[in-house]
Amino acid sequence: MATVKTQNLEMIKSTRNAPKAEMYVPGHRTCAGCGPALAYRLVAKACGPNSIFLGPTGCMYVANTSYLCGPWATPWTHCQITNGGAVASGIEAAYQVLIRKGKWKGELPNIVVFAGDGGAIDIGLQAMSAMMYRGHDALFVEYDNESYANTGIQTSPATPYGANTTFTPPGKAIPEGKVLFPKDAPQLVIGGHPAVHYVATASVAYPVDLMNKVRKALNYQGPTFLHLHCPCPKGWLFDEAKTVEMAKLAIQTGMWVNYEWEKGEYKYQHTPKEYKGVGEYMKHQTRFKHLKPEHISKMQDFINAKLKAPGKPIAVPVAGPRERA
Amino acid sequence: MAKEYFYSGCAAAAYGAKAARVEVITSYPIRPYTGIMMELSKLVANGDLDAEFVHGEGEHAQMSVTLGASASGARAYTGTSGVGVAYGMEVYSPTAGGRYPCQCAIADRALDPPGDFGSEHTDVMSARDQGYIMGWAESPQEVFDNTIMFYRIGEDQDVMLPQFCCQDGYFVSHIPGKVPVPEQSQVDEYLPPYNHPHPLDPHRPTLHGPQIFPDQGAAIDIQRAGAHANLPKVIEKCVKEYNEVMGRNYAPMLDEYMTDDAEFVFFLQGGHAKTARYAVNHLRKKGVKAGMVRPRFTRPFPSDEIAERCGKFKAIGTIETSTSYGGAMRGGNLIHEVRASLYDLDKRPAVTSMMAGLGGEVVTLDMFFQYAEVLAKAAKTGQVDQWVYWAGFDIAGWEGARRLQF
Repeated sequence: MATVKTQNLEMIKSTRNAPKAEMYVPGHRTCAGCGPALAYRLVAKACGPNSIFLGPTGCMYVANTSYLCGPWATPWTHCQITNGGAVASGIEAAYQVLIRKGKWKGELPNIVVFAGDGGAIDIGLQAMSAMMYRGHDALFVEYDNESYANTGIQTSPATPYGANTTFTPPGKAIPEGKVLFPKDAPQLVIGGHPAVHYVATASVAYPVDLMNKVRKALNYQGPTFLHLHCPCPKGWLFDEAKTVEMAKLAIQTGMWVNYEWEKGEYKYQHTPKEYKGVGEYMKHQTRFKHLKPEHISKMQDFINAKLKAPGKPIAVPVAGPRERA
Repeated sequence: MAKEYFYSGCAAAAYGAKAARVEVITSYPIRPYTGIMMELSKLVANGDLDAEFVHGEGEHAQMSVTLGASASGARAYTGTSGVGVAYGMEVYSPTAGGRYPCQCAIADRALDPPGDFGSEHTDVMSARDQGYIMGWAESPQEVFDNTIMFYRIGEDQDVMLPQFCCQDGYFVSHIPGKVPVPEQSQVDEYLPPYNHPHPLDPHRPTLHGPQIFPDQGAAIDIQRAGAHANLPKVIEKCVKEYNEVMGRNYAPMLDEYMTDDAEFVFFLQGGHAKTARYAVNHLRKKGVKAGMVRPRFTRPFPSDEIAERCGKFKAIGTIETSTSYGGAMRGGNLIHEVRASLYDLDKRPAVTSMMAGLGGEVVTLDMFFQYAEVLAKAAKTGQVDQWVYWAGFDIAGWEGARRLQF
């Protein structure tokens, strides 16, 4: 018999109403204006003390755990960048059997993988998908800062088209920098995992919404997935005072859409009355500075197509690198 | 009282794991170890074993699941073979360095290319330096016993290390043998419940595996080395107790056969030791003073015991069932460590090696006889003509098979 979670974490009405207790505490050395660190604080706060965090290699491992220390008031373990989903599966399976045998007393802990985009949908995809498929009761959070930032800003499958990264420098032969369009992370999860009932996207620009999505995910029995938009001043090259502003602009331009997928139903949040052009977002970030108008308009076409049905499988008017544009 | 069963090595491993009351099991199919998981999945499906059975999506995941489960305080079990051992490689150091005493059963298989189901030790020998306890069984009975013994040794608080519990693919894993299975109460008496001193537990938060700076590395590595330094004593204690509780007669580190007056010995690990014993019997009948030494553990390597007890031989021949391309002596792995272990002795035996059993070929009595000639000569002259011989290829006078000239 499986041990099932019985908790019903309350929804948070406002930031003032949020729990006072910090589970992600000061004492780390993330960059000024770090989006992922802000996301971590909100996620951990929403989770509370009965939680175990897993940190696949990435910024939120390296910048958080210097000199054998770490900023968590809960148990935390490192895992490889490859295996967040698999280690989480092992921890969850252990708690299942320990609780069943009476060796551990208490509610099944919240088991939370906090993985970067590489650890989630690139090298970590296989382990994440298997955790979702097997139905382990764990929350997989992808904190998306749109690159392999920890190793010095290299392209990942979450990096947007046109970005200048240290593996996609723009040059005479390749003027755009990155030529590929990113993977759609939530669709990868929604599309093929029958045990998953809740997937959501959230942004550090909307902390209450983010925390409530965490709690909703944790109240579900079984695997859940959150995709968090976390601007990265160092990687995207913008003023570190403007992290939240950048996150808001992403939503206003359609570069990011906040939504929930709950048992097959989509609900959208923070949809602007009218979308601004993507150039309004891109112009603030030096990673896009080299782009020509035709590149911006290629990005606009991509976003326009995606916005017809955010979070759903839809054809986009984008040529792959082996086809004619 | 112990009841006797007829088990293959795979079944013996599965029933050993059941007797050890494993709590989290994780599988991925690859021959020949698969039989272990087939048995265990039946035991779980029938309710004979209360454990979580996780179908891993590959060996990398298997090693990760056992790591996570072991870190959380559950006794975890997995296994693999051949290229599967290689695919799990990234996770071995985090498991050993994190000091998670989970067990990985190995039924050896050759690595590619070409595709080959046969037994060869190169798969897990390639992972021998990550900090796992590692040793080969010679028979299904020893597989069963090692499964329980290895948990006890690995979970000792002075050790806390994962274990590769190895058997030769097919030669042991698929050939049934008699296995006296003790009462569960005897196993429970010998193997107490797994106790991790600081698991991932929200009641008492802790960090596992935070980042360090390079200067902190040595201080951490020396602890893993220290655990290995503690092992010989712990192994001696745990094997002795096992023998007492279960009525067995295992040597802790070195299993010796006809060595008292031996002039030369075959030195080998695993299932081919069975054939080696027969070869020694035949040679003895002809008046040749041959013997056999079989290390029960490859990690920790029994250096002290070898120095203490193998110096008296005139020649030692390592039967290499793994490759070490370009390595010292140009042959397999065992000769490196046997030679190194003997180095400090004033009088050293001549040591040479024979590549045999690669790709899963049967190491025949004939091969042992041919090699015995080489060793008898080395025993007489006190030196070796070659560091390495390839059985069937370059041993002079080899019946019908000078197939390849080097």
